[in-house]
Amino acid sequence: MTSETILVEQLSKTYQVPEREGGFGAAVKGFFKRKHKDVKAVQGVDFKIAQGEIVGFLGPNGAGKTTTLKMLSGLLHPTGGKAVVLGFTPWELKPDYLRSMTLVMGQRNRLSWDIPAADSYLLAQAIYRLSDDDYKKTYKELDELLELEPLMKKPVRNLSLGERMKVEIAAGLLHRPKVLFLDEPTIGLDISGQVKIREFLREYNKRTGATILLTSHYMADVTALCERIIIIHHGQLKYDGGIANLSRRIAPFKLIGVRLAQSEAEGLEESNGRDLSQYGEPVQNEEDAEKVYIRVKSEDVTKVTSRMLSDLPIHDITIADPPIEDVIERAFNE
Amino acid sequence: MHSFKLISTFIKINVQMAMAYRADTIVNILLNLMWLGWELLTLNIIFSNTQTIGGWGFGELIALLGVFRLVNTMMFALIWPNTEKFNASIRDGSMDYTILQPVNSMFLVTFSRITIWRIWDLILAIVLITVGINISGDLIIPLSIFHFILLATSGVVIIYSLWIVLIALTFWFTKFDNNVTILHALIDAGRYPSTVYPIWLQIIVTFLIPIAVATTIPLQALRGDLEGWRIVMFFAIGIASFIIASRVWKSGLKRYSGASS
Repeated sequence: MTSETILVEQLSKTYQVPEREGGFGAAVKGFFKRKHKDVKAVQGVDFKIAQGEIVGFLGPNGAGKTTTLKMLSGLLHPTGGKAVVLGFTPWELKPDYLRSMTLVMGQRNRLSWDIPAADSYLLAQAIYRLSDDDYKKTYKELDELLELEPLMKKPVRNLSLGERMKVEIAAGLLHRPKVLFLDEPTIGLDISGQVKIREFLREYNKRTGATILLTSHYMADVTALCERIIIIHHGQLKYDGGIANLSRRIAPFKLIGVRLAQSEAEGLEESNGRDLSQYGEPVQNEEDAEKVYIRVKSEDVTKVTSRMLSDLPIHDITIADPPIEDVIERAFNE
Repeated sequence: MHSFKLISTFIKINVQMAMAYRADTIVNILLNLMWLGWELLTLNIIFSNTQTIGGWGFGELIALLGVFRLVNTMMFALIWPNTEKFNASIRDGSMDYTILQPVNSMFLVTFSRITIWRIWDLILAIVLITVGINISGDLIIPLSIFHFILLATSGVVIIYSLWIVLIALTFWFTKFDNNVTILHALIDAGRYPSTVYPIWLQIIVTFLIPIAVATTIPLQALRGDLEGWRIVMFFAIGIASFIIASRVWKSGLKRYSGASS
């Protein structure tokens, strides 16, 4: 018996995909003789997640995030390695397992479009064998957090994207799962929609102690919710640890922003056009056009700063960590 | 018990879905009432002019029609709409959610859509069967009625199993929307001139599978024409085909989970 809620060891998944060249001849040939290519979607990934953790699962498109989530939820059989979630092997699809986890995919619909969500919820109640009391209690709680009530009576078809996402997520949680796998739960939502879902997840985690593993394309989701992130790229684990440490590990850089004092003869444009590349790598920053930013290795910051201060007519100088989005981006590209 | 609760929830939801669009609902009710009237009229014409067909008694013929309607009801109320939903769920990926429900996925795929308008057909089928058995009452011993029900059920199960195997093939071929067409051909083959199909397919399809299994054979049992070992055999075939279908479904699911991304 392990204390981890999720345990993943050497998990691998190789897809066989049909492959043929374009063109008529190849299509005919491919009809009679199929060629297959192995695509290694996930290659020997290891990690452990303890009960109650919220972990961000990151990687560029095609990195193997969804494949991993699908293996952990039980939809996919791995080609190698093992996974144990809540003491179950997911792909055995034991009803007891299915009753204690949920998979929410932002791009797939669980609810029927033609009827109000309330009716689909009743079906979920029947499927998960929830007593009326349990159902009402959970629903009340979800309603409190997501303000579901006004959305319940309209056919799902008539809800906005953000409203639909709320009722979809709630539909996945009616049975009070202990483990949540969320694949892009905020996809397509506007900023306020994203923030609402995020706040909900944080509060839900706090109240129920549920373990959450989520993928998202919006870094803000991850930085707001997760203390820990796991990055995979080309199916391999690249990083597993605290968000704060990531910068140190992946991008041991600081950003120095300077505003030069303008001499009368020299406009802002020219001062900003001054070549600072001898001090470090210049960085574009559209939000703050008044400053010029350069990226400098953490250990060189003091040295570079003092050189700049003595060389240049500096009006203002700031030293900061690079934004986490950039760091993660860098981690992907490595 | 749980299955009944689920089916009744499905029926409720399907009633609601059917009523979601008012114009559609009204047209559907009218169409089905007209259809039912037409059917009753046809029956009336047939039986006001003849009492026996091919050695079958009046009551037996009515029961035969009843069983045939039962199969038809299953086709129209469950199999077509669920095949449609199944194919769509493979395409849009919502099959994933079906698999992750803590209920047998074959069950969910069978009952999640129910064309409730076909309730008329179901009632008509049961009435026909009951009336038919009653009319032939004097000639029939209760044991035969039991055999009849047993084999009619078994026939329905065989057709159902055939359907499960056909849609499960989609797991292997990913794009196999023709499953509907094939099944239609299988069940409906008798409707078209025989030249449309090769003779061997005709024989298998028209006589062997649907008609014989679900209608003629149970009726023979009802008349007491069927030897005991045949009754046992046809019942065993029903059970076996269900087991095979479940197996095929299971390995199809495994295949699906192995291939999809």
